Amino acid sequence: MIPSLGRILILASLLVAAAGSLLGFVTGRTLSADGLKWARRFAYFYAALIILATLVMEYALLTHDFSVSYVAQVGSRLVPTWVTVVSLWSSLEGSILFWGFVLGSYILIATLFTKDRYQEYMPDAIGTWLGCATFFSFLIAGPANPFRTMSPIPADGPGPNPLLQNHLLMAIHPPFLYLGYVGMTIPFGFACAALIKGRLGHAILKPLRESLLLPWCFQSIAIMLGGWWAYEVLGWGGYWAWDPVENASLLPWLTATGALHSLLVVERRGILKGWTVTLVQSTFLLVLLGTFMTRSGVFNSVHSFTQSAIGPTILVFLAAMLIYTIALLALRIDKLEAEGRIESTASREAFFLLNNLVFVLLTFTVLIGTCFPLIVEAVRGKQMSVGRPYFDRMVVPLGTALLFLMGVGPALPWGRASKEQIRKSLLMPIITAGIFAVVGYIANVRHPWTLITIALGGYAIHVTFNQMFVPMIQRLRKGESAVTAFVEGQLLRGRRRFGSYVVHAAMIVVLVAIAVSSSMRQTAEVHLTKGQTQKVAGYDLTFTGIEDHQEPHRVSTIARFILARNGKQLAILEPRMNQYETMREPIGSPDVYTTIAGDFYVSIAALDPVSNSVAVNVYVTPMVGWIWIAVIVMGLGGVMALIPPRTPRAATANVGDSVAAETA
Amino acid sequence: MNRTVVIVGSLIAFALVGVLFIGLGKNPAEIRSPLVGRPAPAFALREVGTGRTIDIAQFRGKPVIINFWATWCGPCWEEHPTLVANARQLGDNVQFVGVVFQDAEEKIQGFLNQRGTAYPTLVDQEGKTAIAYGVGGVPETYFLDRNGVIRAKYVGPMDSEILRANLTKATN
Repeated sequence: MIPSLGRILILASLLVAAAGSLLGFVTGRTLSADGLKWARRFAYFYAALIILATLVMEYALLTHDFSVSYVAQVGSRLVPTWVTVVSLWSSLEGSILFWGFVLGSYILIATLFTKDRYQEYMPDAIGTWLGCATFFSFLIAGPANPFRTMSPIPADGPGPNPLLQNHLLMAIHPPFLYLGYVGMTIPFGFACAALIKGRLGHAILKPLRESLLLPWCFQSIAIMLGGWWAYEVLGWGGYWAWDPVENASLLPWLTATGALHSLLVVERRGILKGWTVTLVQSTFLLVLLGTFMTRSGVFNSVHSFTQSAIGPTILVFLAAMLIYTIALLALRIDKLEAEGRIESTASREAFFLLNNLVFVLLTFTVLIGTCFPLIVEAVRGKQMSVGRPYFDRMVVPLGTALLFLMGVGPALPWGRASKEQIRKSLLMPIITAGIFAVVGYIANVRHPWTLITIALGGYAIHVTFNQMFVPMIQRLRKGESAVTAFVEGQLLRGRRRFGSYVVHAAMIVVLVAIAVSSSMRQTAEVHLTKGQTQKVAGYDLTFTGIEDHQEPHRVSTIARFILARNGKQLAILEPRMNQYETMREPIGSPDVYTTIAGDFYVSIAALDPVSNSVAVNVYVTPMVGWIWIAVIVMGLGGVMALIPPRTPRAATANVGDSVAAETA
Repeated sequence: MNRTVVIVGSLIAFALVGVLFIGLGKNPAEIRSPLVGRPAPAFALREVGTGRTIDIAQFRGKPVIINFWATWCGPCWEEHPTLVANARQLGDNVQFVGVVFQDAEEKIQGFLNQRGTAYPTLVDQEGKTAIAYGVGGVPETYFLDRNGVIRAKYVGPMDSEILRANLTKATN
């Protein structure tokens, strides 16, 4: 019953999406008002069907309806309810259905928000969105069908992959990633529509920017959550391993970040149009590449789903989308005429261009590093892996360059800067850079790249704060009270600008924290028997014993430690080994004591209950926690920049500062 | 028509899709052993239960399947019935040998008593044999042809289909 209902809904969504897509593209040629109205209806209808299908699956999971193949595959009566809810995206078929759900929701919202607007672009945009939707509905209906009927119906299932049950972060990392990944379909649609029309007019920039910024916020947080999860669960004390699938999530983020910046240049100067559209489209193509990477089994990674037949299907879609994009660009890019040109190298737009080049270089660096093992195997038949050293050597200088650009770019005016302006805006921050470097040196930082990063971070943060509060300072000079100046200048009128600089400030913190935490980590391997204490990096670690803890779906063996410093107890640490019934080997769960300065991280290497002894790996890493917090601030800054500034009641009021206040 | 876009775009697209296409169908977990195609490292180890020493060289003349395992390894439990069933079916045509490492002899004996066996199980006390074969984790299985040359290696638990497919490489 449920399997058939699910299949019917999916098949209907496939038909509706295909018809709507066709109608959209046809209407793009005829521009009939009725056609657009119907294309919108198809978009709503598609969204309703796919969302309903997902709810049906969620219902089947919650009611343990093992006649549904996906429930039989990942469901279990033993696991807690939250695990059951999130099992929707714990395995291949369900995750594709969830993809459809997110895509449906995005299409629904995008269609609702563009009602009665952007008439010229909407038919082709809807056509593109529903075209992508058609593909994913096809995947769900065919190669990755989660609604197959089980016969005989099993009494219970194995539950989802224990790695996913092991931590709550796993419940939220995938949805954020999907909200980022899938959301990139919407700006892709707008970009394609602009190309089809051969026009990237001012009107379309707003929806393009907003539809890119929203998934960008989610993607930023998703990448961080993934790193955080790896750090909290995998037990090797790090948060980023240049794993192919981590790279896959980073690639579209890089191009999207580049596009968000070049869009500003389009908005202000009317240049870089073709380039911007290319970046937006590349973002979506890289999303598809990432999907292929996780779903094809070609890359070895913690994220890989088992080998499956959908790999080739996604590859065909990726190839089709590549051809579509290249054809559109080749035919239409020359029509997107520049309305001006870069006048001076010492201008903000020139630095935006540099920033874009760095983002593209980063993208290629990571992409090549990720695919290189495949190339080598194809050409020379040898297996190899590209490890940390390559990525570190390539990415560290580029990351530092970004930090430099983040410091200099915003300090320069649009158009052309006078020597006086340049001197004034670039000299002062050097003092802050010097102070930061000295503080870093006193705090024992000796690694040259790390010191450079800290100094550049100081420079960039000075410029960022300077720029961030320009509207407020202007208002204060006019004699407004501090509160009004802040609320009006920063939060209401200048929200977009303020939000952007909040993102910058957070990003600076992230880059510095990454540099410090990766170059200054101390590690130790410690063997202790019950009651013993050992000194590690200035802390006293005492092992107080082993304890078993029984839960319905797992047995945990907990090793208990007291962490103290200078005779004062700081925390009780309980790293554990979780043994799941369905899993061969136990999964470790490290424990972390976090402070502003850094983390004390304990992960079990070996346990011996007979002799009451334990071997643990200890990692003492400075500034890790800053990364998580800064990325959340980054996401919030992005959302702040997304909420449209309140239109002033009197349009003529404060015309003078509105330019400075509303654009960064 | 913008030629630059066509040329640069097609180059990137072809390279990317081409590489990904070649990558399809390959299992990245399958690690090729440098030992494949070379004579299997020699070893003589004590058999569990009987205590007699068995030299791998004595099985020359028929294909040999060497299965590295341990009682603390869940996938090995899963795989055990497959090995025993195939060993019984293939009888004298193929020699199965189990090599246990990082394990206690009484545990192995208990495991075999409970789950049955059909071929000799040897104890690799110091793990030297496992190191010589480059065993990265258990279970791992090596397929030797009748001349004692390694023809295939499989990482992870096998089902009958995988076992027979790899065995063919050693019998041809």
